[in-house]
Amino acid sequence: MIKNYLKIAWRNLIRNRSFSFLNILGLSIGLAMTTLIVLWVNYELGFDRFHEKIDRLYEVNNQYEIEGEIWTWNSTPKPMAPTIKKDYPEIEKVSRYFYDNSYLFAWNDQKIKATGTMVDPDFLDMFSFPLIQGDVNSVLNDVNSVVITESFSEKLFGNQDPIGKMVKIDNRDIFKVTGILKDVPPNTHFSFEFLIPWSYLTQQGWDDKNWGNNSVATYVLLKENTDIDTFSNKIVSLRENYDKDTPDIKTLLYPYSKTYLYGEFENGVEMGGRIELIRMFGFIAIIILIIACINFMNLSTARSEKRSKEVGVRKVLGAPRKSLIGQFVGESVLITFISATFAIILVLLLLPSFNNLVERPLSLNMASIGFWMVAIGVTIFTGLLAGSYPALYLSGFKPSSVLRGTFKKVDAMVTPRKVLVILQFSVAIVLITASLIITQQLHKVQNRQLAYAKNNLIYSSLEGDMEKNYDLIKTELLESGAFTSVTKTNSPITESWSNTWGFEWEGKNGQDKTIIHRLISDDGVVNTMGLELIEGRDFDLQKYPTDSTAAILNQSALELMGFEDPIGKKIKDNGIDWHIIGVIKDFVYNSPFQKIEPMVIEGAKGWFNVIHMRMNPEVNTAQNLAVAERIFNKYNPEYPFNYEFVDAAYAKKFNDQRTTGKLANIFTLLTIFISCLGLFGLASYVAENRIKEIGVRKVLGASVGTITGLLSKDFLKLVFVSILIAIPVSWYFMSNWLEEFAFRIDISWWVYLISGGLTLIVAFVTVSFQAIKAARANPIKSLRTE
Amino acid sequence: MLLQLKNIFKWVNSGGQRIFLLKDINLEVAEGEFISVMGPSGSGKSTLLNVIGMLDTFDEGEYNFLDESVHTLKEKHRSNLYKEYIGFVFQSYHLLDDLTVQENLEMPLLYKKFKGSERKAMVADMLDRFNIVGKKDLFPAQLSGGQQQLVGVARALIANPKLILADEPTGNLNSQQSEEIMELFKKLNQEEGVTIIQVTHSEKNAAYGSRIINLLDGRKV
Repeated sequence: MIKNYLKIAWRNLIRNRSFSFLNILGLSIGLAMTTLIVLWVNYELGFDRFHEKIDRLYEVNNQYEIEGEIWTWNSTPKPMAPTIKKDYPEIEKVSRYFYDNSYLFAWNDQKIKATGTMVDPDFLDMFSFPLIQGDVNSVLNDVNSVVITESFSEKLFGNQDPIGKMVKIDNRDIFKVTGILKDVPPNTHFSFEFLIPWSYLTQQGWDDKNWGNNSVATYVLLKENTDIDTFSNKIVSLRENYDKDTPDIKTLLYPYSKTYLYGEFENGVEMGGRIELIRMFGFIAIIILIIACINFMNLSTARSEKRSKEVGVRKVLGAPRKSLIGQFVGESVLITFISATFAIILVLLLLPSFNNLVERPLSLNMASIGFWMVAIGVTIFTGLLAGSYPALYLSGFKPSSVLRGTFKKVDAMVTPRKVLVILQFSVAIVLITASLIITQQLHKVQNRQLAYAKNNLIYSSLEGDMEKNYDLIKTELLESGAFTSVTKTNSPITESWSNTWGFEWEGKNGQDKTIIHRLISDDGVVNTMGLELIEGRDFDLQKYPTDSTAAILNQSALELMGFEDPIGKKIKDNGIDWHIIGVIKDFVYNSPFQKIEPMVIEGAKGWFNVIHMRMNPEVNTAQNLAVAERIFNKYNPEYPFNYEFVDAAYAKKFNDQRTTGKLANIFTLLTIFISCLGLFGLASYVAENRIKEIGVRKVLGASVGTITGLLSKDFLKLVFVSILIAIPVSWYFMSNWLEEFAFRIDISWWVYLISGGLTLIVAFVTVSFQAIKAARANPIKSLRTE
Repeated sequence: MLLQLKNIFKWVNSGGQRIFLLKDINLEVAEGEFISVMGPSGSGKSTLLNVIGMLDTFDEGEYNFLDESVHTLKEKHRSNLYKEYIGFVFQSYHLLDDLTVQENLEMPLLYKKFKGSERKAMVADMLDRFNIVGKKDLFPAQLSGGQQQLVGVARALIANPKLILADEPTGNLNSQQSEEIMELFKKLNQEEGVTIIQVTHSEKNAAYGSRIINLLDGRKV
């Protein structure tokens, strides 16, 4: 029996080549896209899951109410970790994680920069970063010990045994390599190449007992069988005994397993995070699969006239309905299996570009049984999903009517097929609208007025002897003619690395805890960055030595402080009185998607991390860079010259959104394509079914145009209904999406005009192709078909 | 007695009016009869055949088939009954285009759950009997109308039914082909005792039968 079914199914496939082609093409694309998304979702969901003690690992968070708003953040004071370990017996281990930084490693003549940080010795025991060499209990015991990853070890030492080698780090101290770690996998949010014990920080005098300095991450490992709720209640008031200034900041434990996917808080409530993006694309994957299945359903049921005879004959010859259902479902499963084969090939072909796009190392694990089980399971499920409705529909025919030839399709107002077409096109229109809006929003933000000149501007981090030789470097850079202006600051112009609510000014409301960002700069910041002065002047330490305690405000800061005539006014920060010498237009820093927050640029009395250099536009960039490299190598010989273009650094801020935009575009195009495949097939069957009617109309004098219109009209009506459904749905989703951005577009009506119009045109072209073909056929031929 | 229809009524409601397709039909068919049903278009011939073949239901009356009261049977039971005892022959043959002659013949046996070896033997026997061994691997489209109907009759006979229902079996055939099919029916009826009920327009074909039933507007006349 099964053989008979397969035979029939196979012959059906071969005989109806165009039908099979449309179905297999649609299903293959649908399955391939779904697979790609599922691979990505699976990868994202597996982030950081490999830590064996993941269920007992927590990140320490703080929560504090400022101005009626609850802030939650995850950097903690340095004394937090030892205090927790000392006071709470429920804790098995704790470790701090100083922020990642790039350090210069020197061994013999090799000089390589690597990223890493300081941790407490228990770190490697808490998280599952296995050691290839070295003992987990002792590798970080000695102050001057360092653990490095396998691939960094190869870079630095080549094939030599790294254990026991002495390396000089940051041109300062000698460290002994005590352990080799397996490379940190890409699916964890840690990304270090080396670890140094925390005791080194203490030895250098960089440790502190200041509860007001929230700057390091603290992780805890709870003892087994600790009740997290009870313990949370206990630890929440930790600061009351230690933090004199802000004893009411709450201490919270956040499951480490959730930090990657969730971890975003709004007003003290967990607001999701990356999981939302994952849910969105997971949803899209399901939708695409459903759309591909809908194609199959529509094409199969549209063909019912052709297959009704078979159903009738089989029933008369004794086929029970069950076996007919089995036969039709079998056919759809067969088609799905063929499609799945193509889909796997498609996935293998597309995976490299897709990985590029989402920046993830995804792969099909074809060697695992699990993969094949899932693949076969999904294929059978898809086959059942796609085949169920046609099978029930087709197997329900009554032989007495189909065999007499009185069988006619019911042209009801609402048929399932129409509903399915409407569903498909509603989704297509929603996706088009979403793509348009995402593109528009990106465009708007990318064209945002930065209020500084990002081109021809580079920056380097101040390291090694650069600070010491800064004046010499600056003078030579300017004299060389390659650079027109040089300024050092505490952070790149694209970021703010420092902020406070501690500014004081005349007339400040004592309760006001609005965050004000700090940029710290020496001479000529306005000139170097190309900032736009509204009043006052730039820093000029030659002419005004007191500029080291001068300040320049941005407009938002001025508005906040409310000075009528700001120049000469004094504001207080860090115990220093800063006098205002200028006001600049708000310039974009941190996220270009958000509103610009108040900023004070403080004079040279602060600290510096970065040097900005404006290149001479008359000379070509490569030459300018060569000059800079020569000068830096001269005054800071231990370090390789590194630099970053400000415009490139700025462009990176769009990576995430650009990826979202690209994915949305791709999935939109494919959804429309799959939907049109279905429409194309449907139109051809409708034209075929109405061939006699068309013939009669033509004989009676109808033109090709009127017949095309007649055949297309029915489909376009469905697309119209889809537009009506899609407008509110997409408006709801997209206004939600836009909420995320303070700097955003308004959704305008013409977006719907474009998406609706576009869909109508595409649908019309698809349908009219078939309609014109039918309309131009010779009526004598079609009338003879009876 | 093979089957018995008692006061059979069948109607449809259209625009508040009841239109009768069959009106008070009484019919007894004994085993071994060859009956021709005649009447103008729309007189209810095919409906009657469908009711007898249990492909269609009726609204009133009694129908007994081999001592089973069909009107009280459940759908599943009914289909078992016709599967076992009735073979159908159609005007437009209704062979499955995607199957070869041999596979078309085999299909009813599949649904009756015969074993593979039995099926093979029965199909081979039928091909032999109808002299179509050479055509067993052809598809219906490759056969003439007469040959297709020959396969249709063979398929109806393959599971040894007691009753053959033929709805204008020669309607699509030329006169020579129809004669061959009618001769075949006659032979089956006389030599093998198969009961046959055929619907026909042709007086000549009707004459092959032992009894003629005339219908007009759903009524026996």
